Amino acid sequence: MKKVIAVICAFALVACMFAGCGAKKTETSDLEYVKEKGTLVVGITEFEPMDYKQAGSDEWVGFDADMARAFAKSLGVDVKFVLIDWDNKALELSDKKIDCAWNGMTLTDEVKSSMDCTKAYCNNGQVVIVNKDVADKYNTVEACKDLKFAVEAGSAGEKAAKENGFNITSVSDQASALLEVKSGTCDAAVIDRLMAAAMVGEGTNYANLTYTVNLCDEEYGIGFRKGSNLVEKANEFLAASAADGTMEKIAEQYGVQASIIK
Amino acid sequence: MSQFAEQFPIVFNALNVGFLQTFRLFIFTLVGSIPLGLLMSFGSMSKFKPLRVLIKVLVWIVRGSPLMIQLLIIFYFPGLVFGVQLWGGGESGRFLAACVAFIINYACYFSEIFRGGIVSVPKGQQEAGIVLGMSKSQIFFKVTLLQMIKRIIPPLSNEIITLVKDTSLSRIIALQEIIWAGQSFMKGSHGISGVIWPLFFTAVYYLAFNGVLTVLFSKLEKKLDYFKV
Repeated sequence: MKKVIAVICAFALVACMFAGCGAKKTETSDLEYVKEKGTLVVGITEFEPMDYKQAGSDEWVGFDADMARAFAKSLGVDVKFVLIDWDNKALELSDKKIDCAWNGMTLTDEVKSSMDCTKAYCNNGQVVIVNKDVADKYNTVEACKDLKFAVEAGSAGEKAAKENGFNITSVSDQASALLEVKSGTCDAAVIDRLMAAAMVGEGTNYANLTYTVNLCDEEYGIGFRKGSNLVEKANEFLAASAADGTMEKIAEQYGVQASIIK
Repeated sequence: MSQFAEQFPIVFNALNVGFLQTFRLFIFTLVGSIPLGLLMSFGSMSKFKPLRVLIKVLVWIVRGSPLMIQLLIIFYFPGLVFGVQLWGGGESGRFLAACVAFIINYACYFSEIFRGGIVSVPKGQQEAGIVLGMSKSQIFFKVTLLQMIKRIIPPLSNEIITLVKDTSLSRIIALQEIIWAGQSFMKGSHGISGVIWPLFFTAVYYLAFNGVLTVLFSKLEKKLDYFKV
């Protein structure tokens, strides 16, 4: 009886291997794949001012959302936004669950090695977030070394904090890092400058927080599958929309015109 | 306080949408895994050894590994390894993948509960059935099944209540169930960001839902009470 099972298992294994080979042969280019589907699936998270929904609306808006919509239009396909777990973005891409990751993504070495990226379209930096009342005390990197930091695991902010020798705790995302500061479990956080500008200070839910030191400068790009020819198309689109002013117009709508790269 | 009053309707709506997804996943899982679990329990008691071994190995794998990993494997593996898109990338594809993962996982747990229930009915009753000239299926449906149901209600209700809470694991493949909905207000959603009470508030939904289930199960148990052996 054991022999029978062994034979069945062996057959199953061989069948799996063939299935794997067969699928790889029938690859078309990414552009054709998206056009054939008729939709460009954009992987996002809720991230003001890049991708978010306004109260009472079900439509994704934001600088990245509007740009992605325009890009899909230029390809002649529909756009579909899908919320993903940002930690799994490379996996979602190579698994073809999404066609691009377009959500204020910092072009780090890790990102560039796991996906093919466009040229940078937006400037960003990493800033230190502290409570308003102590902001004057912590406006240099040296002074910040006494603080306990919360940073997003795997983010550019975590890298910057490590490089400066800060005492850090890694949390799941930037919003959680802000929350750590708000609730007092950490003294400070390192997050994106663009996000800080939109989410922290007067009139926000983090009215008591503010940002001080700029730790480093960096750039946002769009990620596609490895070897995708959509990268080229997206670069052409970015150049064209920068040239005819549509990029600037969209950026002004969301208050990020100072950061875009033309 | 006024801010809370302003936020509450928005959060309440979003949480209801999330809970609906949780509830759908719960119902689909239950409807799929109970029959499958029953079939598997027959398989695990089969006289045909390869089938018995196969079921035991499957139960070992599924019960022995984290459901979170199973969700990731079921959702990403077909596309990554075989290049086959079993599920779409949209919300419906994620829901379907979550359903399949949950049904397989819970069927394995249920199958062991069912097996325990069937084995616990004294063999003498089946022998009596044979003597009376009943067929195998008659014996199962008319003699064993109801007694088994009565006995497995407490462990089954345990498992079902766990299922309600386990649905939250599906957020790993970005299914927007209630915990995801609650957490989104921390990151910023619907114009609200940096508030944590919606996440805590999701517990109220779980508590209420599990309260209803608990009452239903104790009623069911009472109903089957005439069935004393």
